[in-house]
Amino acid sequence: MSDTIDTIHGERPVHRADPNSVLKTLWRYNKAYLGRYLTGSAMAIGFISATLMIPLVIEWVVDNLETGAMTRLGLWAAFGALLGIAAVSGFLRYIQRTLIIGASRHFEYDLRNDYFHHIMRLSQSFFHRTPTGDIMARATNDLNFVRMLLGPGVMGLVNIVQVPATLGLMIYYSPQLTLVTLIPLPFVCIMVYGFVMYNHYQSKRVQEQFSVLSTRAQENLSGARVVQAYGIADRESAVFESESRKYMRESLKLAIAQALMWPFIGIVVGTLLVIIIWQGGGMVIAGTLSIAAFSAFLICLVMLAWPIAEFGWVLTLFQRGIVGMNRINEFLAVAPDIRDSDRTRRDIAMIQGEIRFDAVSFAYGDQKVLHDIDFEIRAGQTIAFVGPTGCGKSTVLSLIMREFDPAAGRVLLDGVDAREVPVRTLRDAMGYVPQDTFLFSDTVWHNLTFGRAEATQADVDFACEVAQFAETVTELPQVYETLLGERGINLSGGQKQRLAIARAVVRDPRILILDDSLSAVDTHTEEEILTRLKAVAENRTTLIVSHRVSAVRHADAIFVMEDGRIVERGTHMELVAEGGEYARMYERQLLEEQLEETP
Amino acid sequence: MSAEYHDADEVQIASYDRTLMRRLMRYVRPYRLWFAMAVLCLLAASVLSNAVPYLTMRTIDGPIKGADREEIRVQLAEAAPDAVPDLEMALAAQIAVDRSELYGWMIILGFLLFGEMTMRFIQLIIVSFIGQTTMMEMRIEIFSHLQKMSLRYLDSHPVGRLMTRVTTDVEKIQQSIVTGMVQVASDLFSIIIILAYMLYINWSLALVCLIPVPFILLVSIVFRKYARDSYLEIRKKIARVNANMQENVSGVRVVQIFDRGKRNLEVYEKLNADHRDEWLRQVRNFAVYFPVVDFLSTFAIALIIWYGGRQIVGDSVPYTDASFGMLLAYVQYAERLFQPVKAIADRYNLLLEAMASSERIFQLLDTPEDIQNPPEPVRPEVVEGRIEFREITFGYDPKRPVLTDFNLAIQPGEKVAVVGHTGAGKTTLTALLSRFYDVQQGGVYIDDIDVRQWDKDYLRRNIGTVLQDVFLFSGTIEQNIRLGDDSMSPEWVRACAEYVNAAKFIERLPGKYDFNVGERGVNLSTGQRQLLAFARTLAHKPRILVLDEATSSVDTETEHLIQDAIQKLMEGRTSIVVAHRLSTIQNADRIVVMHHGHIAEVGSHRELLALGGLYHTLYQLQYQDQD
Repeated sequence: MSDTIDTIHGERPVHRADPNSVLKTLWRYNKAYLGRYLTGSAMAIGFISATLMIPLVIEWVVDNLETGAMTRLGLWAAFGALLGIAAVSGFLRYIQRTLIIGASRHFEYDLRNDYFHHIMRLSQSFFHRTPTGDIMARATNDLNFVRMLLGPGVMGLVNIVQVPATLGLMIYYSPQLTLVTLIPLPFVCIMVYGFVMYNHYQSKRVQEQFSVLSTRAQENLSGARVVQAYGIADRESAVFESESRKYMRESLKLAIAQALMWPFIGIVVGTLLVIIIWQGGGMVIAGTLSIAAFSAFLICLVMLAWPIAEFGWVLTLFQRGIVGMNRINEFLAVAPDIRDSDRTRRDIAMIQGEIRFDAVSFAYGDQKVLHDIDFEIRAGQTIAFVGPTGCGKSTVLSLIMREFDPAAGRVLLDGVDAREVPVRTLRDAMGYVPQDTFLFSDTVWHNLTFGRAEATQADVDFACEVAQFAETVTELPQVYETLLGERGINLSGGQKQRLAIARAVVRDPRILILDDSLSAVDTHTEEEILTRLKAVAENRTTLIVSHRVSAVRHADAIFVMEDGRIVERGTHMELVAEGGEYARMYERQLLEEQLEETP
Repeated sequence: MSAEYHDADEVQIASYDRTLMRRLMRYVRPYRLWFAMAVLCLLAASVLSNAVPYLTMRTIDGPIKGADREEIRVQLAEAAPDAVPDLEMALAAQIAVDRSELYGWMIILGFLLFGEMTMRFIQLIIVSFIGQTTMMEMRIEIFSHLQKMSLRYLDSHPVGRLMTRVTTDVEKIQQSIVTGMVQVASDLFSIIIILAYMLYINWSLALVCLIPVPFILLVSIVFRKYARDSYLEIRKKIARVNANMQENVSGVRVVQIFDRGKRNLEVYEKLNADHRDEWLRQVRNFAVYFPVVDFLSTFAIALIIWYGGRQIVGDSVPYTDASFGMLLAYVQYAERLFQPVKAIADRYNLLLEAMASSERIFQLLDTPEDIQNPPEPVRPEVVEGRIEFREITFGYDPKRPVLTDFNLAIQPGEKVAVVGHTGAGKTTLTALLSRFYDVQQGGVYIDDIDVRQWDKDYLRRNIGTVLQDVFLFSGTIEQNIRLGDDSMSPEWVRACAEYVNAAKFIERLPGKYDFNVGERGVNLSTGQRQLLAFARTLAHKPRILVLDEATSSVDTETEHLIQDAIQKLMEGRTSIVVAHRLSTIQNADRIVVMHHGHIAEVGSHRELLALGGLYHTLYQLQYQDQD
């Protein structure tokens, strides 16, 4: 999908987010929750201080036991103190987590809404060059990374304060022993870094091999017809097996590295313990350190381990979060190019339905699709566009609905440049029935009133009648309340098209646009629908794109298009008499009908 | 409405299922000796690692505390000046003794740690080996099974779903069955061994230590239940949020033209808020759970200090020989004991998830192949290429036959063009020949042998099929011609490409025959793909040619090359061509005009035109312009 878009649209969109904008966006969204973050951080001061009391209590207990001064009451006091510390720090931690992680969820909600709102306002050119998958990836993965930065990331960062605080206490007990503790750290860091690098490298290889494997499987499933036609299923299985083996070997390498890493860390931590007991024990033996202080020091050591281990994780959270924010910002920075501007004439509240193209040209990237198109449609006329696939019919409709602006020339509605008509007014005048009927997985009623939520039962009934959809509705299990789509029922192609027509008719539009939207209904029904459409709004402008002569023969005028130009124009009779492209098309259609009617 | 984002709705909570478990165990059984070894390593590691607190206790209570040494120090402080030198000498001697004892303990501790880590390392490697191997075997089994499934099956099952079976589901089983079982074993060992150490050292202190355990277990189980329920809700809600956005993005034209932006945003905001609120509930679950467990851990420490302290002071009855070292050791043991207790609920959940995955996998593996090889497949040495469709009735849906009582015989080497309007049953005819589907009545015969008696793969290898849209595998041009047949010489590949006019464009590609087809950005045109498909077919030297001509138009030059190549391909082969080209039809020995699942007219181009029937109309409609 993305390939074709890249090739159509040579250049990449011009929207580069500067690093500053990451901070700016984060600030903009989070200043409302600043109180939460600050209070949450303040909690950290509380519970870290409380936690630091634990070694002090232990020291006091050991000291008193050592000197024999410990009383029963003293032990009760220590018991109470420890429980008290645990209760207080537990409570503060609860508050911190609720505040900070909660704030990150609120932030996620806000940003997601805005992202959705922004994306939905962008013009068709954006959607032409951006695959849906990319839009979704930023709303899911990237948004989650940013959320993680603000939730666990910020919380982890705040709680890192525990490291210097604990270190301070350790220095208070014994600067010398603290130094001994810190000596192996750089080496550990280097080794861990090495492991992480290898891990990263090997994970990538595993990932690559995995995608080879899944591509293989995917292709064999999608290309099952070829695989079976050549009778090579066994051979393909053998290839898959060898790729599977390769994947296993790569995974095993990674597993071994990881298997090595944990015991390695265990050995380092163990060695550290040995060194400290050896050194600290030696100091106690030499009488330079009290056994109480030594015990407290050991407790501190345990308290130090976790926040340090967490630090690496917090760093990755920040890194990924910043990248994610950047990627989201890239899309937020795209300005919708179809919108009201200074040129907009706000006094225009209504469109009658007169359409004029004045030397209009248009291109998708480098590919020119329309060349100097000129035509005029009076309000109330029915005009048909015919021609081969890719001749520019749908693009003409898009320009009328102002999904794009022309590259050259002007599109005029009621004599006013479409760029000067308020977008809202313009769109309100349109009733569009797309080529590939897009329905929402919602009730039939909601789909029908999609363009006019305040429509009454009578409006909807009437529209269904016109679109020949009324009978289908009554046959549905819950009538208008029937769910469509994934969780509901699936309509046939023809039923969908008729619903889409009803949906457009409900709007009672000034301009009704049928973009090859009757292809799945039979000619008889088609004719019926067209007649009724004509009857219900005599003065409505109707534009029809179709491959079928039957759909266009009654139009006031038919424009035959080829390679982005209008090559013939006139009524059905005139064009048939002319004996050109349209006449040939008509002839073929007659033959088709003849074939179909042969028993 | 993408399946991708709705898939999460499928989240199932399976229950523990014995038969399923037994079937899963079958994959692990060949490795049971390895498995036993891993468990032994684990046991050893657990014994060694849990000796560490005990050793530290002995070190602290022994040389570090140094009762004798401290006694001398006390004496020294109060001693008369003349006793000082003696006492100092005694102190120095005692310090030396304590030091050497300390070193001794430390060396033992060092070895212990090293031993433990070695055991863990070995165990981890064995477990990953078993896990990866069984996973690979399962994956291969699923893949081979899928390869045997008929087109009917593959057409009705979305590729994405099937891919999930091969990838995610297998991964889940590996994670939780192999790794999970070892973890459960590890947890159990840890609990037993820690309890043994604790009870051995000081049984009454051990019992006091256990007071928080039931609370931790209870809290963990309750929390897991809430967290899991909430998590399932969250998955459902985020799936809705994403599906809604996906739908809006896909239908953005309609949304914009119908000016629904605002109202759709409201719907989205509602879904988004539901998701946020469920998360806030979950945040509260976690915010309560972590501190409560922390509190219970500290509670255990407080108990140890209080009760152990009383034992040291001599206040408590059952056991009075407590020490600081012991207190410190118990603090460590308590921590170690609580870890696996907290994890129990988690492990169980993981197991259930794997159950759901394995259920899906087995369901797939249990689906029988619907087009099976006969018990005694026929593989004739020489294939002449006589084709006969006898009294065939077939429909993709048996109730709606596409072909009824259809008869057609084709002589070896004959070139037959099949023409007809859309839906006449032309493509179906070719699919039946290769036995992609089995007929409901009658039979398809090749060299007077029913295709159902042929060896399936052998049959298909003798029929060269060129489909309308050419499927290319990611890989080089050469690989796409060989399709994995290594017996072909590179010269043969090139000769075939040359013969069907594909060589010209291939030579112009960067890397020529090594050009990578699937690469981003560069794609082959429809015409080039066609020519490549011809080369592929020719390279496999089929006796029978089935060609479904593509309708899409190509430039005149390529069109010429294609027409020429088709003539060459048909030469000397029994050929059935679903024809869209006038040139192909004119060169055919016989034209079969199909209409609504039966043969309407048969004859040569000239005869049929003269007849002025269906063919005449078709000719005017489809072929005349090509003249």
